Amino acid sequence: MDKKGAEKILAVYWFTILILVAGGIFAMVYTFYHYPYDVREMEANIMINNLADCLSKNGKIESYVIFQDGTFNEPFKIDFLNQCHFNFDNGERYERDQYYLQADFYKFEDLENPLASISGGNQNWIADCKLEKDEENYEKTAQCLERRFYSLGQNGNQYLIKILAIVGKTKENVK
Amino acid sequence: MCGKDSKLQGVFGKKGELLISNIIFIVLNLVFLAILIVFIVKQGSGAIVLEQSYAKQIALLIDSAKPITEVRMDMKEGIEKAKNEIGEERIKNKEVVKITGNLVTVKITDKGGYSYNFFNDVDATAYPEIVNGEFTGFYIIKINNYR
Repeated sequence: MDKKGAEKILAVYWFTILILVAGGIFAMVYTFYHYPYDVREMEANIMINNLADCLSKNGKIESYVIFQDGTFNEPFKIDFLNQCHFNFDNGERYERDQYYLQADFYKFEDLENPLASISGGNQNWIADCKLEKDEENYEKTAQCLERRFYSLGQNGNQYLIKILAIVGKTKENVK
Repeated sequence: MCGKDSKLQGVFGKKGELLISNIIFIVLNLVFLAILIVFIVKQGSGAIVLEQSYAKQIALLIDSAKPITEVRMDMKEGIEKAKNEIGEERIKNKEVVKITGNLVTVKITDKGGYSYNFFNDVDATAYPEIVNGEFTGFYIIKINNYR
């Protein structure tokens, strides 16, 4: 093969490489920017913070949650979403609620059985939290986040409060 | 005459073919790279990406804010794009960011628009910051009070 023929073959080879690299970059960029930003973990975190602020201030459980005598305020269980300023209404965007929020109160002496539980939102999302990260379709399930903190009651008793927040919204956060 | 011929041969002749093919090769390479760079830059600053990013940022801001809070948000890139796409008058009419109920909608182009819900039960408003009749590129998000 003469020099000119070799150069032509080299040019074709070079262009093939270039097309492959460009195709790779194109595919990567396209995939990256066409995946929505998943902000559900941040939302769940904010939900937990807001609820924790509502339940306890300066390390003390609010008197409208647990009374001085250590009993739980039952009406608060029903109305806690309103009292803590949560609005889970999605309008017409979704058929069902996209949020779930639950708080369990444990006495320090008995960390197995909760003294009281409050919950609001769509309970159907709880099943999604049982999926393991390596399971199929895990990415397309709701985002669950659990955090816990200790607080004192009005009478000085110690309580453990576990908060579970779940955010669905898969349509806007997952492809 | 003889000298001129040899010069022309340099461009079109046997020796010249190598030079032209090399130039074409380099130009094609540059065009290729330019297209790739333009594509990457356009993807990153596209209206769709910006609308989604702004809508979600504003929703998260409102979720984590306490009443009577004012947030100044940098939206220079989005407002510049909106000026070309929908015009200054509509930006002044607060059409870029709309907060209805607990839904934030960001609209930079006529075609687009992206909405995202927030859960904090507050009354919030948004308007562009204008100083001396000019957009500063910032948007003011006001969290007024609990509903």
